[in-house]
Parts: sequence; C-alpha cells; structure tokens
Amino acid sequence: MTVARKYLAATAVVALASALAGLLRAQVAASELVMIYMLGVVFCATRYGRGPSLAASALSVAAFDFFFVPPFFTFVVHDTRFVLTFVAMFVVGAVMGGLTDRVRTEASRAHAAQLQAERQELRNVLLSSVSHDLRTPLAVITGSATALQERRELDPTTRAELLETIRDEADHLNRLVGNLLDMTRLEAGSLAIQREWLPLEEVVGSALERAQRLLGGRAIHVNLARDLPLVPVDPVLLEQALFNLLDNAARYTPAASAIQVRAQHRDGTVELCVADRGPGVPQGSEAQVFDKFYRAPGTARDGGTGLGLAIVRGIAQAHGGTATVRNLAEGGAEFAITLPAPPPPTGAP
Amino acid sequence: MSEPQPLILVVDDELPIRRFLRATLQDDYRTVEAGTGAEALSLARQYNPDAVLLDLGLPDLDGLEVVSKLRTWTAAPIVVVSARGREADKIAALDGGADDYLTKPFGAGELLARLRVALRHAARLPDAQEVFEFGDIRIDLLFRNVTRAGEPVHLTPHEYKLLVTLVQHAGKVVTHNLLLKQVWGPGASGQTHYLRVYMAQLRAKLEVDSARPRFLITEPGVGYRLRT
Repeated sequence: MTVARKYLAATAVVALASALAGLLRAQVAASELVMIYMLGVVFCATRYGRGPSLAASALSVAAFDFFFVPPFFTFVVHDTRFVLTFVAMFVVGAVMGGLTDRVRTEASRAHAAQLQAERQELRNVLLSSVSHDLRTPLAVITGSATALQERRELDPTTRAELLETIRDEADHLNRLVGNLLDMTRLEAGSLAIQREWLPLEEVVGSALERAQRLLGGRAIHVNLARDLPLVPVDPVLLEQALFNLLDNAARYTPAASAIQVRAQHRDGTVELCVADRGPGVPQGSEAQVFDKFYRAPGTARDGGTGLGLAIVRGIAQAHGGTATVRNLAEGGAEFAITLPAPPPPTGAP
Repeated sequence: MSEPQPLILVVDDELPIRRFLRATLQDDYRTVEAGTGAEALSLARQYNPDAVLLDLGLPDLDGLEVVSKLRTWTAAPIVVVSARGREADKIAALDGGADDYLTKPFGAGELLARLRVALRHAARLPDAQEVFEFGDIRIDLLFRNVTRAGEPVHLTPHEYKLLVTLVQHAGKVVTHNLLLKQVWGPGASGQTHYLRVYMAQLRAKLEVDSARPRFLITEPGVGYRLRT
C-alpha cells in the first residue's frame, strides 16, 4: 500500500468510527463513544503504522468534537471537561500508535531473522546432503573405472559387475541431479505447468517404462479403474511425480516385494496411488515424509536426497491437488496423489 | 569392394561426449566432428553427411537455427540431443525438421538404434512396404487390415490412420501435432485430447497390457513412438 493510501484508509476508519458512534449515540454516553474512536486508532496503528495512526488520533478528536460534543456540528466547545478528553484521546492514540508500530516492526524483524535462519539452515543441510549424495556415486564410479583400467587381469564376471555398477551409479547421479533441479524450480516458482487432457494410463505407462531398470524384476500390479476421466495435467511433471513414488517404493522396500499402482475416480477427483509391501511410514510422520530432507528415524543413508517426496508434493500442489500417505492394514505404505478432475472437454473429432 | 560406411556429422561442444560418441560409432560409421554450430554448418556443406547428430545446446548458435539452416539444402536425417525437461525445445526441433531426439544422458545402444532407424527411413523409397509386423500384430497396408495372432482386429478409420502414421515413422518419435494433422487434418492442431483418447483405444486393441505398452510408446510431452 502506498503512503497516500494508508492515510486515506486511516481517514476511512475514522469516518467508520463516527458512523458507528452515530448509530450508538442514543444508547451510550459520550465518554464511551470515545472508545469506538480509540479502537479505530489502534486498528490504524496495527495496520498502517505510526503516521496514519497519529493522523487518525487527530481526526478522531476533531470528529468527536464536531459530531458528539455540544454544540453539535461545530468545533466550538462549551464544556471545558471535554478539552481534557481531547488531550487524553490524542495522547493515548499517539502513544498506542507508537507502541503498536514498534511491536509491528519488531515482529517483522524477528520474522525476517527467522526466515533468514531457516534459509541458512536449509542451505547447510542441502550442501552437506548434496555433497555427500553426489560424492558417493562419483566415488563408486571413479573406483570402478580405475579398477577396470589398472587391474587388467580381472575375470569377466568381475569386469561385468564393475561396468554394471558404473552404469547404476551414473543413473542414480542423474536422478539426484534431476531432483535437485526440480526442487530448485519448484522453490523458485519457475515451474510452469503445461496442462493437457490425458488419460492417467498414459502417465502410468511412461513412468513404469522409465522406472524399468530401477524396479528390477519386481512384480508390478497395475489396477486402473475403468471409469477414469481425462485429467488436465502436465504430462512431464506428473510422470516425474509418479516416477519418484516408484523410486521411493523401490528404495525402501525389500528387493523382491511387489508394488501396486492404482487409480480411481471419486467425488470430482482422481487418486493415483503407489502401494508397497515395505515397513510403512512411522506413526505420526505421515505429513513429515513429504518435507524436504526428512528421513524416517532409523533409515540408514540410502542414497536419496530426501527431495523425492517433497517434489511429489510440490507437483501435486502445483496442479491444485495433494499428496498423502497412509499405512495399509495388510502391511506397507500407500502414497497417493489426489488431483482435481473437472469435466473433460466435449466434442469428438 | 563393400559399400562405404555412412558418414555421421557429430556436433557437440563437449570433448568427452564427442569421444564417447566416436567410440560408439566407430565400428559401423565414419564420423566428422564439430564443436560449434558454425563449424557444423561448414562441415555439413563440405562433407554432405548421411546423418547429423546434433546437441541443441551449442555455444555459438541456437541448435534450432542449425536444424533449420541444414534443412534449407539437405534431407539427411538429423537426430537432436537435449536434456530432460526441455520438451519444448525437442518439439521445436522436430517441427523444424529434425527426425528424432535423444535425451541426455543416453546409452550407446539407444544411440545406435536411433541412428539406424533414422538412416533406414532416409533410404526407404515411398510405398515400398506392403506389410508391417510387430509382436503378434500384422498390418497389411495394401488391403488395409490388421490382425492380432491371426485374428482380425477391428479398427475405426481414425484408429487405423493413427496406426498407419506411426508405422510410416516406425521407430521414430512422431509429435502430437504431426499426428493430429495426418489423422484429423490441419484444423485439429492443438486438440491433443482427441489423439490421447484414440491412442488409448488403439492400445486397448493392440497391446497385451495397455498400461504397460510394449510397442505404442508415449514420449511424455512430445508425442508417440512405435517401438520396433
């Protein structure tokens, strides 16, 4: 708000106080009408700062005198007791305005300091997490490549294993970098979503295709409801979100355990779920697992950045949806992305 | 004497990438290498390559500009290389005349497969093929019928046109816009939901598991590819 607008708003508040006092004048004594003006002044102090609240104090005195002190509709005062009221009114208004203003400044300063600290903390966690997570696969790649280079007498099985390791770790590194980029874009608000009307089946198909190597020989059960409508989503981002859920399931559940991908339509939304048969999420941490860098207590360092699920939530929210998790009665966790499903466009080609 | 190996112009500003490409290609192809767009354009004129492998992120020229300049005089297939998340660039390159794309990082197998497909398409004479097969699907392009494991499959005219368009570009990505234009005509541009609905129907009829297609592959944000 510009300065001029703040003063204008303060004037409006005093006018409002006058109108209110006018309505109540038959029921309450003049000294109590003063309170209505004081309320207005406090309001101005909290919302608009010192200057406008001073102005509101002065205007309140004038308006009170003009409308409610006999003789009415003049600034003349016959009863000298009112002069004391005026002075008190102005002083209290000015002091209160000053105090509220100071409290406000302090609060915003504290808020800024807190934000700064959080940002710093985030940066530290990010740096340590990222440098660790990036270096581990790099160390494996360097180690394997140099072993292949320098130990020429290695048997074919070992050579093949080392090459496989290099490839896996490079894939891993690629996912980490992708996650970092996505998170940065989400945080900077520069993730432009390009909506297209898609069947979820298509997103499921391309995410499973990309996750193939990651999922190894696991049994994947796909169960998509027959009545799924087209949904307006960004195909690349939603595929990324689903891919991250699959990556998460592959990472935190026993190697051969099954993963289920489900989708259903209800109450104007579609729900896309990935259910696993792993240990589930710790009780009470259902919301936290979607926080950046959150790791369930007791999970070893696993090569994740702690960004995958935060990205899932970010992408879901960018679509006006939500990301949630619940533990299943039969064991395992089910992660769900819920998206709005407005009526699809009509008209056949 | 056997036929000379096809010549590939490799355009990438990163030396380690060029080294890896050279190593991958050396058994089946001859290569010339360029590190900048300007160099690429001049080498292309000098050598008239059979195919171009072009990284879109070049230091001097926009990769898209290189594509359109090459297209003013050569029909040699162009496979562009780009990062994930830059789908708009890929679409622009494909619409600008590129034949296919690879997303960085890619493996040697993928690169060789893309190049093979691109060169095969460039060499093929129009209407050379009468029958096309993938999995247990057989498409008779002359009699316009499709069978699955010997059983006839009923396709609507739009479904058939969509399938045939993918067959004509088998192995290559086909953008949404090109498919819309070929199947529904120029007025349908931008109406990708038509395409997706028909694609889902086609998968239901031709794939074993339409949620995990083996042949009718989605290229998210870009188009579709008939995997061969």
